[in-house]
Amino acid sequence: MPDVDAHAFDPHVYKDADVVAGLQAKIASLADEIGRPVKLMHICGTHEHEMGRFALRDLIPDTIEVLAGPGCPVCVCDNEYVNLAIQLSLRPDTIVTSFGDMLAVPGSIPLEGERRGDVRMSLLDARAEGGDVRTVYSVFDAATLAQENPDKEVVFFSVGFETTVVAVAAMLKRGVPDNLSIIEANYYTPPATNLLPTLDGFDIEGFILPGHAVTITGLRVYEHLPEQGIACAAGGFEPADVLVSIVALLEQIRDGTPRIDNPYNRLVKYDGNEKAKRELDEVFELAPIRWRGIAEIPASGYKLRPAYRRYAATDRFAGHLETLDLAGAEHPKGCRCAEVTLGQIRPDECGVFGKLCTPDAPYGPCMVSHEGTCRAWYLFGMGKEKIHVEVA
Amino acid sequence: MSKSPDDAPTAAADAPAGTPSGATAGRSRYGSVRLAHGSGGKLSLELIQELFVAEFGNAPLAELTDAAILENRPGRLAFCTDSHTVTPTFFPGGDIGRLAVAGTVNDLAVMGATPAYLTAAFLLEEGYDMEELERVVRSMKATADEAGVAIVAGDTKVLERGKGDGLFVNTAGVGFLPDDVRMGASEIRPGDKILVNGTLGDHGIAVMSRREGLDIGVDLESDVAPLTGLLARVREVAPNVRFMRDVTRGGLAAVGNEIVLDRPWGLRIFDVAVPIHDVVEDVSEMLGIDPLLAANEGKVLLVVPPDEADAALGAMKAHPHGREAAIIGDIVKEPAGTPIVETAYGSRRILEMPIEEQLPRIC
Repeated sequence: MPDVDAHAFDPHVYKDADVVAGLQAKIASLADEIGRPVKLMHICGTHEHEMGRFALRDLIPDTIEVLAGPGCPVCVCDNEYVNLAIQLSLRPDTIVTSFGDMLAVPGSIPLEGERRGDVRMSLLDARAEGGDVRTVYSVFDAATLAQENPDKEVVFFSVGFETTVVAVAAMLKRGVPDNLSIIEANYYTPPATNLLPTLDGFDIEGFILPGHAVTITGLRVYEHLPEQGIACAAGGFEPADVLVSIVALLEQIRDGTPRIDNPYNRLVKYDGNEKAKRELDEVFELAPIRWRGIAEIPASGYKLRPAYRRYAATDRFAGHLETLDLAGAEHPKGCRCAEVTLGQIRPDECGVFGKLCTPDAPYGPCMVSHEGTCRAWYLFGMGKEKIHVEVA
Repeated sequence: MSKSPDDAPTAAADAPAGTPSGATAGRSRYGSVRLAHGSGGKLSLELIQELFVAEFGNAPLAELTDAAILENRPGRLAFCTDSHTVTPTFFPGGDIGRLAVAGTVNDLAVMGATPAYLTAAFLLEEGYDMEELERVVRSMKATADEAGVAIVAGDTKVLERGKGDGLFVNTAGVGFLPDDVRMGASEIRPGDKILVNGTLGDHGIAVMSRREGLDIGVDLESDVAPLTGLLARVREVAPNVRFMRDVTRGGLAAVGNEIVLDRPWGLRIFDVAVPIHDVVEDVSEMLGIDPLLAANEGKVLLVVPPDEADAALGAMKAHPHGREAAIIGDIVKEPAGTPIVETAYGSRRILEMPIEEQLPRIC
């Protein structure tokens, strides 16, 4: 079994079964050395999805728990933006575009008629009521749509983290049709991860940092975490990437030396992607934003700078929007998505998981999105005992 | 052309009487489909005779009677229908016409039937390019020949501009099933082997790449093909095949879930044994979608008794549509009713049931 050094990782072997077996053994021996339960957390929806797809939790000892944090952009997107998108879609001569996942997330506008529980209106419901809602794959599609429909206002519901926002910044810088505007549901991860260790009962000892996002921002922006005693490692998405990140975290925990390791160094640089950061900074500035079910976190949202505010949907449609009271309407009754998002409970600890809330009839956002923790757990059968096979 | 609101949205042209000209020149004097092509009048007749009858060319169709009169054969009848819509109409490796014929032929063939006759119904949008229609029709004829079936009856409707997505094709098919063929999910037993006839996800990824304008810089073609010949060969060497199902929308994941649902046994797929084209693997990873859930149009999943599995595999590998065939898993006693995937690392997960269209990831 090859011995794999977390710090000299060959990117070409990230799926190799022998390498994975080597890492698995290393994790087992580190778990033994540490000799007590350890909780780790990743902060990326794609990590959760890949952990499910390759059943990676099967490969690590029971004492090492890997929880999912606030890494799904759809799940953390506040109701305020869902409601705004719905209202705009119901205006005549307005087309609202978004990623497929976003369409099924309920906001807090009550839905008339007979529906289960107190489920509220989603963009899909708005479309059924005559709203013009279109699925797009990127802001580029929205810009094309705007060009093809000069007599309409086209709104791009821009939801996502650093990686997605870069594309929006690049597009706006390059120039887009005047009839395009964006809903600024853009989230910047570091302030949220830096906030987590300050929460009551927080007992997570290491973070697998989100590989896509840190490709843009770099790792320096997470320097607060080791200072707060949290081990950190940049995480890629292949099986060996994820496991090597866990090895790096466990080594730090064993040695009592929290720092930031970069086993995903084939893509991630300590200072990130300078060009992308410049473009982001030119178009957007950081501002407070509400994370669904969590809190308003200072400097964690990307808002358009004054030179680009003409593309902000909130400004363009100011005066045309109803003011909604969002208090108490964050989640449907019984839904514990907020706690799942913070890693405070596992999906199967939520009372509606798999019963009232399933991927074909989702209750909360974590069951809606492809990157949502509850959806991944449900589809891939996570959280149960390791699946036992009996052959003929 | 203006139409009053009272006008019916469609106009029928149900095989008017007449004799085929046999000519292939001229086709239509219009470069695009007109409402009158579906009116039942002169333009309808011209389209039917000079395109459909001329291309599909067979005696029952040429009669242009209200129904085709067909030769019967011994055994039971297998009968199915399928409607087809695809964007784009022409994609790498195929088109809607090949898809329409292969899809219906494969639905019959996986039941153990020998496909014999097809019908073809066209829903055309006013303004649809006549040359494209000709290409689709020629492709249907070529695919029908490859599958050994005749297109013996049809129908044309023209929808007003804006009310159809260019072109829809419906095909229905009849095949003959020998009395001794016994296949179905209820025949499956623990210990049986699971086989596929080649790489999965090619169609779904080829179409998605073209639709999204992805320049993947390599040739990736849809696998769309009629599987009549391949399956006939398999059944010669593996007469006790338990179950066959064409793997189409929803991919291997959908079929895997369907066949174990509420059954007293389960299935296990070894993910490293599943043949997947390198390009499909790469594009899937880039987009964040799973090739096991991607659509196929020339792939079949077979459940075969263990003592016939190698023979079935050999027969497939010797056929052009089965060169990359593989044994990908087995039927297990436990967990019952659940399809699982075993990874190269020995970890196990549920083979997820597709919920909706796969979409590229956001993050």
